[in-house]
Amino acid sequence: MSDATIPSKSIELRVLRYRPASDREPVLVSYRVAYSDDMSVLQALQSIKDTQDGSLSFRWSCRMAVCGSCGMMINGEPKLACNTFVRDLAPDAVIIEPLQNFPIERDLVVTVGDFVKKIESIYPYIIPKVAKPVEDGAHLQTPAQMAAYESFSDCINCMLCYAACPQFGANPDFIGPGAMALLQRYNGDSRDGGRQFRLDQIHGEDGVWACTAVGICSEVCPKQVDPANAVNQNKTNSALDFFLHYVQPRSQP
Amino acid sequence: MEHFDADILILGAGGAGLRAAIAAAEAAPDLTIALVSKVYPMRSHTVAAEGGSAGVVQSHDSLDNHFNDTVSGGDWLCEQDVVEYFVAHCTREMVQLEHWGCPWSRKPDGHINVRAFGGMKIERTWFAADRSGFHILHTLFQTSTRFPAIRRFDEYFCVDLLVDDGRVQGAVVLSLSTGEFTAIHARAVVIATGGAGRVFRQNTNGGIVTGDGMALAYRHGVPLRDMEFVQYHPTCLPGTGILITEACRGEGAFLLNKEGNRYLQDYGLGPAEAKPRNKYMELGPRDRLSQAFWHEQRRGRTVNTPQGDAVLLDLRHLGPGKIKERLPLILDLAKQFMGIDATTAPIPVRPAVHYTMGGILVDIRTAAPLAGLFAAGECSSVGIHGANRLGSNSLAELSVFGRVAGEQAVEFARGSSAPRRSDQAAAVEASALALLDQKGRGEHHAALRAEMGASMEKGCGIYRLGTEMQETCDTLAELRQRYAGITLQDRSRAWNTDWVTAIELGFQLDVAHAMAHSALARTESRGAHQRLDGFEQRDDANFLRHSLAHYQGTAAPTISYAPVTITRSQPGSRAYGAAGEHEEAAHKDAVSKFGHPPISKDTAHV
Amino acid sequence: MSERRPFHRPQPRHWWAHKPYLAYTVRELSGVAVAVYGAILLAGLICLWRGPEAYAVYRRILSSDAAFAVHLVLLAAMLWHVLTWFQILPKTMPKLILRGRPVPQRQVTAIALLVAMVCSAALLVVVVAIGVTS
Repeated sequence: MSDATIPSKSIELRVLRYRPASDREPVLVSYRVAYSDDMSVLQALQSIKDTQDGSLSFRWSCRMAVCGSCGMMINGEPKLACNTFVRDLAPDAVIIEPLQNFPIERDLVVTVGDFVKKIESIYPYIIPKVAKPVEDGAHLQTPAQMAAYESFSDCINCMLCYAACPQFGANPDFIGPGAMALLQRYNGDSRDGGRQFRLDQIHGEDGVWACTAVGICSEVCPKQVDPANAVNQNKTNSALDFFLHYVQPRSQP
Repeated sequence: MEHFDADILILGAGGAGLRAAIAAAEAAPDLTIALVSKVYPMRSHTVAAEGGSAGVVQSHDSLDNHFNDTVSGGDWLCEQDVVEYFVAHCTREMVQLEHWGCPWSRKPDGHINVRAFGGMKIERTWFAADRSGFHILHTLFQTSTRFPAIRRFDEYFCVDLLVDDGRVQGAVVLSLSTGEFTAIHARAVVIATGGAGRVFRQNTNGGIVTGDGMALAYRHGVPLRDMEFVQYHPTCLPGTGILITEACRGEGAFLLNKEGNRYLQDYGLGPAEAKPRNKYMELGPRDRLSQAFWHEQRRGRTVNTPQGDAVLLDLRHLGPGKIKERLPLILDLAKQFMGIDATTAPIPVRPAVHYTMGGILVDIRTAAPLAGLFAAGECSSVGIHGANRLGSNSLAELSVFGRVAGEQAVEFARGSSAPRRSDQAAAVEASALALLDQKGRGEHHAALRAEMGASMEKGCGIYRLGTEMQETCDTLAELRQRYAGITLQDRSRAWNTDWVTAIELGFQLDVAHAMAHSALARTESRGAHQRLDGFEQRDDANFLRHSLAHYQGTAAPTISYAPVTITRSQPGSRAYGAAGEHEEAAHKDAVSKFGHPPISKDTAHV
Repeated sequence: MSERRPFHRPQPRHWWAHKPYLAYTVRELSGVAVAVYGAILLAGLICLWRGPEAYAVYRRILSSDAAFAVHLVLLAAMLWHVLTWFQILPKTMPKLILRGRPVPQRQVTAIALLVAMVCSAALLVVVVAIGVTS
């Protein structure tokens, strides 16, 4: 990377590598990187890629913990590489692996498509309570109404919560914490009227009920979204809805 | 190679690409819209925009105010008819985003709140805390999933356009996960691939901001307009270049030098008041603030940090409550990346490259001079930013012109014949594979990229010299030659980022070359292009003109010029602070003689 | 044929025995202690139903040192379960919004714990009072 500081120390990075064209299974490969106190793990990986081994693959973009690309296991914990700093891990060797619980495409790159499909499955958009033309201006929404959903809208889709979730590890079809946070983001929005459609998506055993309230998803979240809250409050909603659906008719969006 | 038949192909799924896709899907649910992005859409760099998006809402504001701020902010190098259309449509787009769920920050009574921004006379920046781009992008992406007409190609990288018979007919894309190619055939193509800030060493941009779309159009004969105008954002973290939003200053933060002085008052932006007035001091435009840093550095009044010289952005007087509510991301970033608690200590900041004002030449309909090709967002030069963009005009731009591009592409697609399949796609694939297998001269592209970044920073920085720009032009020419002989370290197909970043570097070198030559040829100072070698003044007689860089293969680009459209604002002196107020009064008299009716929402239909 | 060949890494088999999941495992196991204590009470009830002799045996067993030790362990596990139960409580309910701001989860836990302690103390007073007067 472009940093001006001159590195004076070095650290060993053991990176789990998997090249589908040549490797039968992933193997740890060791690299040594010079580092300065402001170097992130992402910058360390970039330094390996630029100066030692151009074949190392990993996703990254914004470098400021908002694009959600660079999630990986760093010493066994799901982290964003861009805001994890080498100085906090030194002097011991650092073990870097792709996100737990996801299939590995290559090196530190995991399969994201299934997660995106889960997002798409829960109607991740406003289904207006009342149709309102744009010409009529913006809706009113008080700070209290915003506070009901705002934190759930901060999810950057980095999937660290999935890597931390043992139930997702056991059942890859589990809707999981991130998608549930998004569901709650819309269900909690005063402009939205699509709650029922979304609840219908999460009743089954791949829905909220696969969660056993382990709660680590919320602890690893880099944006304090608290997906565990989204999942668990919807267990109540799902149970209530189960009984209500005997007395209420349903329609499709 | 696989083939996919679409009606409309959109390259890039950031704010502009997604807005175009939604507009197209709304206008024509029966058409197939292929939306290609080299990252999952929510990773696109719109995500990193912080401060907000412009749209006139307050009763004491007017579209004319927004127009005047934009045109004078751009040092009169703006297409004024386009700016009229733009300011007239910003607010509608912001409301549209609100209807789609964008969590704009609100006043206690539930109405939309707006904040002050640099160079804007009246508060008109809509914001979602300091994650405005993030929320706009996620809102657009999530809303786009509603439309079955949109067929996404996530993590597909565009290698080249298919141009045949004087018309763009699609593109060849590479699947990152498999390394296999797909030819997407389309009647109309929208490029919305973002800027090219990564050609500079220190920048606020994500790794993906490599000017792909600009280079693609440029290589097929579409001129790149006004490429010499590159915006340095004045407040970024030293070293990483991470953006510290202008909204800090909008909320009232101060910029201090080593001695603790608000040095901007020494650069014609004063007087310094406890709460900066709009268009004064810290709320001046970005080019002026970055230039002031340069002078402070020369005068030895900057602070030394381990990551280089910096000035101090002081938020402390705002109080922890306001900082946490309005600038939570900044608080996080300062803590994580600098180890600083912004509620108790100032943040060291310095300028870094942020935005490319220029781009693919398009008209008010976002149409490029290549049939079927449209462009929107940072990759395009529709003409609203001129020589310097005002903060919060780019998020508004991607919404307004993203929609226009989507609608125009539909119209074009409806009126044109099916794309022709030629053997071009196979040739594109072959050439991309040739790079993969190329023996080369053993040099790796990472070294070339570093040299390019350093050279651009030296030659095309905040202040420019003819000799240094010439050196940069020469270095780039040499790098382009060496690029032809690079050797990849990875020859596999699946997720080969060595290969993809090498192709990106080819795009970057072409775009950088256009920037450096456009800069060298402009012998005046205007907006973000400031020279110190005898061309310190603006020269309207010779350079109130857009530059157009034309691709010439392996040779240097040629530069030509095109007139600027002026509708209601004759070039005046561009001043801020107290001097600006004088100037504005004088200018108002001059303008009122022309007797233009005020701009209204119905102005200038495309 | 594409080169793509995703590798499925198995979940570590003993994930539940390691940090940070160990706290969860202990919490869930403390639920077993609650069940065991419930079973002991149920046994007492059954003995009471079967007659004074059976109940006397039950009481004799309970007054043994071993039973005392078991109850100490159960009490500790129960208290832990109560504490963790209230820690999860705010996760299972909609956000509490007061004056436009969400109430911090720690506060919800603290208030709920306080209420539980007050109720328990009140119950204890009632039980002791009944025991003294009868």
